[in-house]
Amino acid sequence: MNPHLVLRVVAKLLIPLIVVFGLYVHFHGDYSPGGGFQAGVIVASAVILYSLIFGLDSAKRAVPTWFVKFLAAFGVLLYGGTGVATWLLGANYLDYDVLHPDLSHHTGQHIGIILVELGVLSTVFAVMMAIFYAFAGRAPDIPEGEW
Amino acid sequence: MEFDWTQLLDYALMAMLLAVGIAIVRLRNLFAAVMLMGVYSLLSAAWFVSLDAVDVAFTEAAVGAGISTVLMLAAMLLTAREAEPVKAARHWAALVVVSVAGAALFYAVGDMPVYGDPNSPANSYVGMDYITSTPNEIAVPNVVTAVLASYRGFDTFGETVVIFAAGLGVMLLLGLRGLKKKEEQK
Amino acid sequence: MEILLLIRDIASIALMAVGIIFVLAGAIGVVRLPDFYTRMHAAGVTDTLGAELIVFSLILQAGFTLLAAKLLLVGFILFLTSPTATHAVANAAHRAGLNPLLSRHQPPHPRDAGNGEAP
Repeated sequence: MNPHLVLRVVAKLLIPLIVVFGLYVHFHGDYSPGGGFQAGVIVASAVILYSLIFGLDSAKRAVPTWFVKFLAAFGVLLYGGTGVATWLLGANYLDYDVLHPDLSHHTGQHIGIILVELGVLSTVFAVMMAIFYAFAGRAPDIPEGEW
Repeated sequence: MEFDWTQLLDYALMAMLLAVGIAIVRLRNLFAAVMLMGVYSLLSAAWFVSLDAVDVAFTEAAVGAGISTVLMLAAMLLTAREAEPVKAARHWAALVVVSVAGAALFYAVGDMPVYGDPNSPANSYVGMDYITSTPNEIAVPNVVTAVLASYRGFDTFGETVVIFAAGLGVMLLLGLRGLKKKEEQK
Repeated sequence: MEILLLIRDIASIALMAVGIIFVLAGAIGVVRLPDFYTRMHAAGVTDTLGAELIVFSLILQAGFTLLAAKLLLVGFILFLTSPTATHAVANAAHRAGLNPLLSRHQPPHPRDAGNGEAP
């Protein structure tokens, strides 16, 4: 029997919950504490937990390195692109009110904030994963009795 | 003036922060030091909650206590488990720097506003303006999100670029593939 | 109706008090107990039973609100993670070769060995 059986079962139960909580923190950031930064860290911690328990190679199969690189750049581009979109619609840079015609409820602000925070989430998640992959990939394998 | 009993909680948390900080400095075992840094972050998160700064506390708990502990452990595996003892001469230089900085900080305490002062700079100029105009201009219940993502969108963009640059630096210096696969390729 | 509220408050206070007693016992145990495994045993009480009882007491205080649902989720996560963490730490120590302290198998103290008494 695998000595880490309990950890594996509980981790399989918890990792989806952690990711869902991360997304809740992101999309509920308008109403409660949280936002893209915290959400990115939480989602990254779910993948790191997976990597700690099932090994770095399985984590790299789930979240490949090319995807990490893509997300890191995509987040910054999404943030900047939202600003450019407000430019093209005739407002100041990152002035979200023009994104939606419903000015009485400020729907444009909501859309803009969610988009911008999505960019932050993607970049933070990717950078945390990149740092972890870079460090953990170089660490030598520790014999079981070493700890 | 009535005595506010909840401030005792703040003092207790600050005393624990001080104790943990001294323990981190004194410890030679890097594993224990990394763990205590996680404890330090968690304590400061509790302190931020007690100061009603829940957004900051959330970030501190997720980043400081959660992910940076794991990243520090991963970094520690690449180095030794124990720190080398520092030479005594270096201790004196550090003591001088720390004493001067500490004296300067104590000198500056006199200019700090009292805790909860309604006329302090943070509460009087632009901060109040954000709080009063967020419901009309942004219509988002969480003022912190409104300030971070809308009013101060440029600053947050800058932060995102800084994080991206940090990740880029790590990717360029260390690479994402790791050592083992490179050796296999050879 | 007021009787119900009173019962709820009493139950909540009782749960909170028992939870605090468990947390306190765990904290004293971590300081006082002799070896790693017994200390883990004490620490496990703190974040499993103690924290769980405190969360249940808070659920009673919250009533049928969204807050109670969130607290229930917190309790569920604690119920999963705390025993797992205790198990993982104890398992790692066991696999690293740390033996529990057993008083019967202790070698005689050097001080007593000189007395000429057979151990």
